[in-house]
Amino acid sequence: MKIVSDLLTSIEGIQIFYIIGLLIFVVLFIVITIRTMRMPDKEMENIKNSILADGESEEITTSN
Amino acid sequence: MENQKFYYDNKIVKLFILATLVWGVVGILVGILAAAQLAFPVFNFGLEYTTFGRVRPLHTNAIIFAFVGNAIFAGVYYSMQKLLKTRMFSDTLSKIHFWGWQTIIVLAAVTLLAGITTSKEYAELEWPIDIMITIIWVIFGWNMIGTLIVRRVQHIYAAIWWYLATFLGVAILHVVNSFELPISLFKSYSIYAGAQDAVVQWWYGHNAVAFFLTTPFLGLMYYYLPKAANRPIYSYKLSIIHFWSLIFLYMWAGPHHLLYQALPEWAQALGVTFSIMLIAPSWGGMINGLLTLRGAWDKVRDSAALKFLVVGVTAYGMSTFEGPMMSLKTVNQITHFTDWTIAHVHIAGMGWNGGLVFGMLYWLVPKLFKSKLFSEKLANIHFWMSTLAILLYAIPLYWAAVTQWLMWQEYTPEGFLAYPNFLETLTQIVPMYMVRVVAGLLFLGGFLIMVFNLAKTMKAGSFINNEASEAPALVLAGKRNAVKETFHRWMERRAVRFSIWTFVALSIGGAVEIIPMIFIKSNVPTLESVTPYTPLELEGRDIYVAEGCYVCHSQMVRPFRWETDRYGEYSKIGEFVYDYPFQWGSRRTGPDLARAGVIGGPMYKNAAWHYNHFMDPQKMNEESIMPNYAWLAVKNVDVTMTPKKIRAMQTLGVPYEEGYDQKAVADLMAQAQTISDDLKASGIELAPEKQMIALIAYLHKLGRDIMSENAAVTEEHGETAEQPTHEITLLNTPEDLEAGKKLYQANCVVCHGPEGKGIPPAFPSLVDDEWIKGNKPADVYHSIAEGNVAKGMIPYKNMLSEKQITQLASYVLITLHEQNQEK
Repeated sequence: MKIVSDLLTSIEGIQIFYIIGLLIFVVLFIVITIRTMRMPDKEMENIKNSILADGESEEITTSN
Repeated sequence: MENQKFYYDNKIVKLFILATLVWGVVGILVGILAAAQLAFPVFNFGLEYTTFGRVRPLHTNAIIFAFVGNAIFAGVYYSMQKLLKTRMFSDTLSKIHFWGWQTIIVLAAVTLLAGITTSKEYAELEWPIDIMITIIWVIFGWNMIGTLIVRRVQHIYAAIWWYLATFLGVAILHVVNSFELPISLFKSYSIYAGAQDAVVQWWYGHNAVAFFLTTPFLGLMYYYLPKAANRPIYSYKLSIIHFWSLIFLYMWAGPHHLLYQALPEWAQALGVTFSIMLIAPSWGGMINGLLTLRGAWDKVRDSAALKFLVVGVTAYGMSTFEGPMMSLKTVNQITHFTDWTIAHVHIAGMGWNGGLVFGMLYWLVPKLFKSKLFSEKLANIHFWMSTLAILLYAIPLYWAAVTQWLMWQEYTPEGFLAYPNFLETLTQIVPMYMVRVVAGLLFLGGFLIMVFNLAKTMKAGSFINNEASEAPALVLAGKRNAVKETFHRWMERRAVRFSIWTFVALSIGGAVEIIPMIFIKSNVPTLESVTPYTPLELEGRDIYVAEGCYVCHSQMVRPFRWETDRYGEYSKIGEFVYDYPFQWGSRRTGPDLARAGVIGGPMYKNAAWHYNHFMDPQKMNEESIMPNYAWLAVKNVDVTMTPKKIRAMQTLGVPYEEGYDQKAVADLMAQAQTISDDLKASGIELAPEKQMIALIAYLHKLGRDIMSENAAVTEEHGETAEQPTHEITLLNTPEDLEAGKKLYQANCVVCHGPEGKGIPPAFPSLVDDEWIKGNKPADVYHSIAEGNVAKGMIPYKNMLSEKQITQLASYVLITLHEQNQEK
């Protein structure tokens, strides 16, 4: 690969990139999951029904 | 607040729907042609433009980018306007997008059949078309983000997150994978070589599945399934979690396409790990889709649209479970290079993508044309034909995959491969290929019924290009109130910020995978014996690429005994450093060619054999399904491009000496002359400038450098010493002669013909009195056991037991001789 410069030349320490990448995922996943689960259900219902309430659907069935 | 009046642009949706229907028929027809070619080689028509190597990429491109692509755009343009309560941002951009995309499709069809290809699967199109794709894709994104900015709703709904991820994901993938060095309008070289190219390509290939065949369809599912069922999506919370997990994880999983191959272990491990993790977010989507219908399953009974959507989501669940399983190394050794992968992608393609498109169209077309579906009954017939076609397609191919894999790795009690001739393993599964043609026809039949049904619906209805609607203007909600509004809810009303976060989530996986492969030298250990291609070999390689040989022949021997016995030394990462682009392949319809140049190895064939095989493969073995390539003996290599190619290679880092481009053509002609002379000695007249000469030179280069390294080792150990001739007694029982016949048909018929008459002088007759090394039983035994390496006959002592060689000699000297004398 002459066309791109050799920025990194050793594989030593490479695993840190993956560990960082995975950590970012795990932390974000936990945070997003917890925060999402704590969202109020009532609000969720409104969001879910919003796409049906476009004046075209005959009736809206929201009961679960 | 006062309502604003505006008009939905329905015309652009209609155009994309029509394009979907037209390209759908074309794509399936080409698929059926490709399937027929594998069952009956006569369907290659003896024309260079219609060989399987060119037709197969046309099928995949037509289905993915033409049929599915247009369906995505139809679905996105309709649902975005409705969801955002606004007309698309710009009619001009919409039109450029539509006509630009259709132009790309036509150009793709023409260039692929003309043999203009980069050979990178699902990214075969050459650089000028790549640039067009980039421009049209940016126009699509521009139009989409523009529409988001002029929207009349506060928050962007889940479907649109997926559309955004699609736009960003495809943009990243296409740009990174398409870096190439053009040398003319129709030819370029990938700037990545060998293993690096493989990693980039399969990072692209896998994520093309993710961001062209999955994320846009999840977006469509989030809109069209609730609309068709008239029920809200099951869980909005689940949609948030599975969206972010899926787009983050997908980008890491590409290397699962390269397991057991010449790739660093860490990259393989990474691919496997993330592939398994992908089950969770994928099934999150499936569950959210299916549970949307809870309590409303009765509606499925009455609606073909819902039936298709349900089968689509179910097929998605099956494929996204099967995919991770296939990335386990133990499973992958069965599924890779066999028809398993083909079955897998067709369950996903025909089931998930097809199901969602058909479901969407059956719901959308009556809505757009303000009428009812012409015939629910016909739609139901289509549903059953389509669903049965999927089963009829997939089951035989799973069967074929397992059969062929079992045959590849079966050994005799003596410790030799039970089916040393690759063709035996293929002949066994050709009946499955015939069933596949029937499946394709069934699927096409259903599709045509749908086209008829929709056309009737359109005719009966009335279509309004600009549909009037009204909605209050959007009032920006201002800063986030942390108590009243969650972070995600806040992001949903900040479209640009949402896009940036999506981009970040997508980039991490790609970056950690590709950057180290390209920049860290120790990932690609070099081998001293590997030398750059000679100019003739380079030209031959370009022909190999243009003809799409990689579609059926891999160049990757995996480190299994049953592969090294069949092909030779396993492939090493350093062998491929001069391969722009890599040619590892993904399916072995024909044998692996990585060791085709190893003289004395099991895969070596001399120039005369290659000539005869290219001219008429079925003459060499009537069960072969390879197309003929007779035009390679007519067309010349364009040597005016050779110096430019050498200079391009130098730019990419191939160590040709300074100024070599000036000498390249002379070197090319000199090497071509030696092959031409060699053929002449076998009674074949072929001028040195013919393309076939270059292709033979390339095939003879494959694995040769590795062999020269190994030869030094074996010589030291004295393993090449011949065994002394010893007396043998012919076996003349019917059982032995029958066994001898089977061995003859498996191993010898290709060169010496079914009657043993050969193609003299290259392949000697076995039934006349002129025997080079004598025709006493012991001589014939010796000739079979030791082969004639210089002429391309391999030593069969490495593949057959002593008894088998004796049976073979007996068959030649008794049965073939008797048959010949009778005539």
